[in-house]
Amino acid sequence: MDWLFYIIGPILLLGIMLGFVTYAILFERKVIGWIQNRPGPNQVGPWGVFQTVADIFKLLTKEDIVPERADQTLFKIAPIITFVPAFLVLAVIPFTDRIRFADLAVGLLYYMAISSITTMGILVGSWSGNNKYALLGGMRSAAQMISYEIPLVMSVIGVVMSAHTLNLTKIVAAQNEVWFIFPQLIGFVVFLIASIAELNRTPFDLPEAESELVAGYHVEYTGFRFAFFMLTEYAYIFAMASLTTILFLGGWQAPFGWTFLPPLIWFILKFAVIVFLLFWLRGTLPRLRTDQLMEFAWKVLLPLALFNIFLTAVLKEVPWIQTFYR
Amino acid sequence: MTGEFFAFFILAICAIGGAVFMIHFDRVMHMALSLAFTFFAIAGLFFLLDAEFVAVIQILIYAGAVSILMLFGIMLTKHQEKEQTFTRTKLHQWLSFLFALGFLAILMSVIYLAPFTLPAGDQSLYSVNKLAEQLFKSGYVLPFELTSLLLLVALIGSIILAKKEEKE
Repeated sequence: MDWLFYIIGPILLLGIMLGFVTYAILFERKVIGWIQNRPGPNQVGPWGVFQTVADIFKLLTKEDIVPERADQTLFKIAPIITFVPAFLVLAVIPFTDRIRFADLAVGLLYYMAISSITTMGILVGSWSGNNKYALLGGMRSAAQMISYEIPLVMSVIGVVMSAHTLNLTKIVAAQNEVWFIFPQLIGFVVFLIASIAELNRTPFDLPEAESELVAGYHVEYTGFRFAFFMLTEYAYIFAMASLTTILFLGGWQAPFGWTFLPPLIWFILKFAVIVFLLFWLRGTLPRLRTDQLMEFAWKVLLPLALFNIFLTAVLKEVPWIQTFYR
Repeated sequence: MTGEFFAFFILAICAIGGAVFMIHFDRVMHMALSLAFTFFAIAGLFFLLDAEFVAVIQILIYAGAVSILMLFGIMLTKHQEKEQTFTRTKLHQWLSFLFALGFLAILMSVIYLAPFTLPAGDQSLYSVNKLAEQLFKSGYVLPFELTSLLLLVALIGSIILAKKEEKE
């Protein structure tokens, strides 16, 4: 039965992720519509349920245009390089103590390493289209993703120091008494901000600032290749929300010993809260300027993350308090 | 014929193929990408050897950071630009061949002289925690800290150099 799980499991996971992406987009539009006092999509199907399905169908049936002066091969490979890592990172995410795929000893590092490959896909895609707006968007995106990866990794070091492991399953197991969001509050805030920047979402959506750059790195893409770039973004929301749940919200563990709900339901509840938070922030905050963005990463988030590491190291030695840090 | 053998074969071909294409292509962007592909295949080989930590670091530093840095620089070059081709003389070709052959001979002799007689160790003993213990508890702390200091100095130095240019 084990080998069957390893063959069917990933296919099922891909299906679940695509389903999530379809309805996350609808949910996002509904939430933002609600924040902005308008109904949101409500024409296709009851309550607009089939809006995204119709949108995807439209994208898939569109004409596939490859610009004449583009670098043909790279133009076609770029969406693949961008999307594959987004699905690969899900391999190490433990959804419950039984539903997981690869139990790597360095799961957390694996996530960080693989997700950095996506930047390469974005760079290649923006360059190969032979369009200056796409190139500018790609440059911004690469600069932003590289800068924010540093506070992102630094902010989880506090968690690793408390859990004594890089394995995501063991990190969840280490939170059976206190979720890391409480002792690692600074780490959580830095992680959340840096992860929104890594996801290229508002208020950090400079790479695709449509008012300045037409559409950012995917200007030249149409049809299903464009759909791949959008899919990557939402796949990363799925992955990042899962990772936040695991690192800071105790994964599948029930709070206050309320085990009347199964672990998977707890995981989905916490995951949904994080996803809602991401959409809420998008509806609330305006976009930053490029220079503000870079200064924020290097002058605020990085020192804060370093301070958090230092604080964790000191508090681990203080009697009584140290019980929360292990 | 185990699965490990096949995986090794495929990864090795990917690594060598990436390296050959890196030399063969004449556009810099393609070269950088095939190099990244080689780095990735090498990470796969590390995974095959149960060296998870080294494999992940290989992806993080080489396939991720170094490749992206190269692409970032190359992106600002012209799109249709090709590397200048120059005609090589017969002598040049023969000399290159001889040097490559000599290098291969040295490499092979070193590999054959190496005493690979001991059986492979138990990989489960070499976990990340063991690695950290080796690094921090057996006298490598000072070199490690000095290296990090060196990197910090290099970082600050590059920032100062970049700032100077801005003023002019």
